[in-house]
Amino acid sequence: MTRESQSYNRLWSIVMTIISVLYMYPIFMVLINSLKQESAISTGTAFELPTEETFAGLANYENAISTQGFLSSLFFTTFITVTSVIAILLFCSMFAWYITRVNTKVTRALYLLCAFSMVVPFQMVMFTLSSMADSLNLNTPWVLWIIYLGFGAGLAVFMFCGFMRSVPIDIEEASMIDGCNPLQTYFHIVVPLLRPTMVSVAILEAMWIWNDYLLPTLILDINKYRTISMLIQFFRGSYGRVEMGPMMACIMLAILPIIIIYLIGQKYIIKGVVAGAVKG
Amino acid sequence: MAFVSLKHVEKVYPSTDGKHRHGEKKSNLKVTKEGVLAVEDFNLEIKDREFIVLVGPSGCGKSTTLRMVAGLEEITRGEIYIDDRLVNDVPPKDRDIAMVFQSYALYPHMTVRGNMEFPLKLHKVPKDEIKKRVEQAASILGITEYLDRKPKALSGGQRQRVAIGRAIVREPKVLLMDEPLSNLDAKLRNQMRAEIIKLRQRIDTTFIYVTHDQTEAMTLGDRIVIMKDGVIQQIGTPQEVFDHPKNQFVAGFIGVPQMNFYDARLLRAADGSYKVELQGTYIVPSEEKQEALRKNDAEAQDIVLGVRPEHIALLGDGKDMLHGTVEVAEMMGSAVHLHVNACGRESIIIAQTMSFEGKLPGSFAIGSPISFTFGGNVIHMFSKDGNNLEA
Ligand SMILES: Nc1ncnc2c1ncn2[C@@H]1O[C@H](COP(=O)(O)OP(=O)(O)OP(=O)(O)O)[C@@H](O)[C@H]1O
Ligand SMILES: [Mg+2]
Repeated sequence: MTRESQSYNRLWSIVMTIISVLYMYPIFMVLINSLKQESAISTGTAFELPTEETFAGLANYENAISTQGFLSSLFFTTFITVTSVIAILLFCSMFAWYITRVNTKVTRALYLLCAFSMVVPFQMVMFTLSSMADSLNLNTPWVLWIIYLGFGAGLAVFMFCGFMRSVPIDIEEASMIDGCNPLQTYFHIVVPLLRPTMVSVAILEAMWIWNDYLLPTLILDINKYRTISMLIQFFRGSYGRVEMGPMMACIMLAILPIIIIYLIGQKYIIKGVVAGAVKG
Repeated sequence: MAFVSLKHVEKVYPSTDGKHRHGEKKSNLKVTKEGVLAVEDFNLEIKDREFIVLVGPSGCGKSTTLRMVAGLEEITRGEIYIDDRLVNDVPPKDRDIAMVFQSYALYPHMTVRGNMEFPLKLHKVPKDEIKKRVEQAASILGITEYLDRKPKALSGGQRQRVAIGRAIVREPKVLLMDEPLSNLDAKLRNQMRAEIIKLRQRIDTTFIYVTHDQTEAMTLGDRIVIMKDGVIQQIGTPQEVFDHPKNQFVAGFIGVPQMNFYDARLLRAADGSYKVELQGTYIVPSEEKQEALRKNDAEAQDIVLGVRPEHIALLGDGKDMLHGTVEVAEMMGSAVHLHVNACGRESIIIAQTMSFEGKLPGSFAIGSPISFTFGGNVIHMFSKDGNNLEA
């Protein structure tokens, strides 16, 4: 390595470190405050590390978990996320496979439509959506995945198509000659090939659905069903004052699963993105 | 083990559908209202256990024909039978065929064993039978030690063997191969070619093999189908197409180095005997050729005269010799390939390095003059539009 590229690398690391500190800082703030007593948060000491007097241990966490409804919120959020992600992976990968392999005017139009749906801001459709969800009885957590499928399809189809185009069709043709019907080709050949892309899509969609606040608030009845993001908001509204400690703890608990999923899946994300980019 | 017959098979690609292929030259293909005619009136009866080779230049419709037999491409017109069963509307999986792709098309997520077991599992072959067949095929192809590797950990030649293995474990009625050797380097290609010849003696299957390489076609095929622009030019054994090419295209395509062509004139004497005039010298076709010309009632006309490089002799009696100058001399070991400028064209002559006297016949320095001749029994006479006048 030459000296120039070495100092270049060093400069680069410094810049990246600063950026990552900036990104980590809010999360770090939430973390330290979730470990403090209530009084220490609301005053000007919010930016300080907990001292001996203000350290609350896991009291806030206990408080949050024992708050009425936390466990049910956790369940709803998990259920909605898992069902939506499974639906998105299954339907979008099948759909993307079909429209990349069958090249007609209709499939090209469908692809454009999907790509276009990514451009439409959610805010534009949210009120019509909520009244439509009411009239179609989609306003329960059990079927919310249908709505998420619609909103997640754009990105998922886009990513699956991008990867599918880079896969030579010979492999699928070979499987057809070897004795597969289309469904067998899909499950035995296409799904394994798409696995890295599926992991990337799953992580991206899971992060979004898990953290989503606006859509469930608009569609679900907050008195019956609360997702975690709704619950966090609920902490603020239900009492006269905001209970910061349990709220911070709740936020930490809410982002934990996503961080774990991301850490497990990140090597696939990189693989998936590169596989699509280099060959496509 | 099967007969395959193709009757008036045609393939039309709708022109709208092929936008992404605009870069390719397809000007020589017939274009109709429906689209591009990629295969035109293809008729072929393939016998049981025959090894048929489809050969032709790029874009002549070889792969398309093969893929129609495989069921991967719809048949626009005509009929394909496998063992008297009309398969036009039979999906690939029910045709009892196997195919080896140019790209090998191995399943990347399965081990070599998994790849070879896959078709058998789909056909619900019993477990111990699967094991037996996979191991047998692996040992025939010498890939036993790689059975537990993934395809990406194999070299091109090994992948090729796996692809062939996956095709033969099925014991299919017809084994289709689309340029299976074209991704290998020259040495490996020769080796695999020999192995395919060996393989074919071990398994009872009808082969249809696609290649653009005439050497592969000549060495492998029981019969060769030579195609150009979607049309069959000639079907015959390697010897037949080499000795009696139906037209100038076949004559030029089969045989390396290429046949030499000269503009000449066919003369017909009053007694019905023929002579060919080339650059003031006269060549008298052999009796057999005279007979064929008479039978076809060939008239006196301008013709294209074809002579294979290996049939040209440098030693003549001095009279009626053709003259030229050496432009390039390629030393091949046992022979020298001379590129000679003669009769206004470049011709290639193969000169054996050992003459009867045990020394080089003359000097082949660049620019040196050279005289050559050929006998009346080795010439091929084509009309100006390319048809063999003897055929
Ligand atoms: N899907 C398609 N749509 C439109 N035209 C096609 C399509 N596939 C092939 N063709 C055209 O049909 C003709 C024959 O193609 P084919 O693939 O059979 O050629 P080939 O003889 O196998 O050539 P090569 O040696 O290059 O593989 C070509 O001119 C090609 O451009
Ligand atoms: Mg081809």
